[in-house]
Amino acid sequence: MSKVIVVTSGKGGVGKTTSSAAISAGLAMRGHKTVVIDFDVGLRNLDMIMGCERRVVFDFINVIQGDAKLKQALIKDRRLENLFVLPTSQTRDKDALTKEGVKAVLDELREEFEYIICDSPAGIERGAHLAMYYADEAVVVTNPEVSSVRDSDRVLGLLNSKTYHAEKGGERSVKAQLLLTRFDPQRSANGEMMSVEDVLEILAIPLIGIIPESTTVLKASNLGMPVVMDDKSPAAKAYEDAVGRLVGEQIELRVNPAERRGFLQRLLGRTA
Amino acid sequence: MPTQKVATVKPVQIRGRFFTAVALHLSGPADRDFLAALDAKLHQTPLFFENAPLVIDLEHAQGLDGEREMVALASEMRSRRLSVFGIQNGSPAQVAAAAKAGLIALPGGRNVPLDRVTRTERPSANAAAAATTPEVEKEAAQPITRTITQPIRSGQTVFADRGDLIVLGPVSSGAEIIAAGNIHVYGRLRGRALAGVNGDTSARIFCHSLDAELLAIAGLYRTSENLGADIPREHVQVCLEGEKLRVLSLK
Repeated sequence: MSKVIVVTSGKGGVGKTTSSAAISAGLAMRGHKTVVIDFDVGLRNLDMIMGCERRVVFDFINVIQGDAKLKQALIKDRRLENLFVLPTSQTRDKDALTKEGVKAVLDELREEFEYIICDSPAGIERGAHLAMYYADEAVVVTNPEVSSVRDSDRVLGLLNSKTYHAEKGGERSVKAQLLLTRFDPQRSANGEMMSVEDVLEILAIPLIGIIPESTTVLKASNLGMPVVMDDKSPAAKAYEDAVGRLVGEQIELRVNPAERRGFLQRLLGRTA
Repeated sequence: MPTQKVATVKPVQIRGRFFTAVALHLSGPADRDFLAALDAKLHQTPLFFENAPLVIDLEHAQGLDGEREMVALASEMRSRRLSVFGIQNGSPAQVAAAAKAGLIALPGGRNVPLDRVTRTERPSANAAAAATTPEVEKEAAQPITRTITQPIRSGQTVFADRGDLIVLGPVSSGAEIIAAGNIHVYGRLRGRALAGVNGDTSARIFCHSLDAELLAIAGLYRTSENLGADIPREHVQVCLEGEKLRVLSLK
């Protein structure tokens, strides 16, 4: 059975698109047929993070408006055979999204794909609302700082009330899970950042991963490569584990995945 | 009966609503002089009063109680693009005349408790204001406790409009919980809690762990800033002692 998973946060810049790219690539690497959809109409970024921006011909909005077939808009990843990208339009705005159009596209994708990852725009307006509306599960991306946590809390409230499953009022509700990104264990220990416990106490949802703050994330984004494909990066390992937990595997959570630096590095302190 | 029509349609949810209206004090008969003075006033600020909700205050115009005069006054107002919809401080005869003219009688002043609170205790009272009595009010008499079993997230508002509110979980910062009666939070209260919003000064707020942005009982409130650093934070109740909001430990 296929699953629609929305990657959302409320606040901007916390790593939704990076995480969408990494999670979808991680799922594809595990052999699941996966598509990732960019819902950020007008601010098209996912295709760049996925490294396929020069192959965009038709987009999500063209499909919704019936100007193109879904097959024409889907871009197959060159590195992973199970991974597809559905880019969005850079020239339109969020009003181009309609509930019926999104449903039609998702229904068609459900027939072919195991996982459908919806990369939500920031905010709680139309784009973000429609990205979460038909979701079965949600990955709430949060940074360990108060404004991000509060916005995530707001989004969790919306997931409980403004989604298809919530409005239908059945037993099913959107299963929300937390992905803590840009976590710096040292700064957290110093009290400059919120601790994992603090965040979990406020949000009260299961944690699927802690992604350490890492220079490799930005580097991978600039190269158009999902972080998870960068073997050497601690962030890649953390994303891999998070994907494992997302599909239901029991993987021990290492609160401190970045602490694998050599003696000399520790002496020299942080380079970032 | 245009005024009653809205009230007798039974909506699924009934919500209290506050809004601002302009009160026009009438101090004599609504004659030509009065209308000339009114026109002069309107001429000074033509846009300010345009279509503003307007209430006629009849405290100093006890002579005006004829139905025809009231209808004429209302139509004079409306012809000046004033959205007159009610009267206040009227005598029973004036209230009756106003009802005929399609104007509702409003309890005057902002400190008067809601009409419906007093009426549920004394159903036979206020017969003069019966024209404004929505039929649904009788059903509002029984308190109904609302129980929430999930965390209340930032941006959510939960309103127990007829009784107590019980929350089995945390209330996040930026959330708002409101009750006509008491509020119980079996978790950490970080948001705003407003108990006794219909004026019940005996209402209390109970919570396991207090970290609220704002606490209010019957309109008297304190924000986290002026709650003081030395108040108890765990297993507390909040209640009114006279005009003062007190936070007390339950231990």
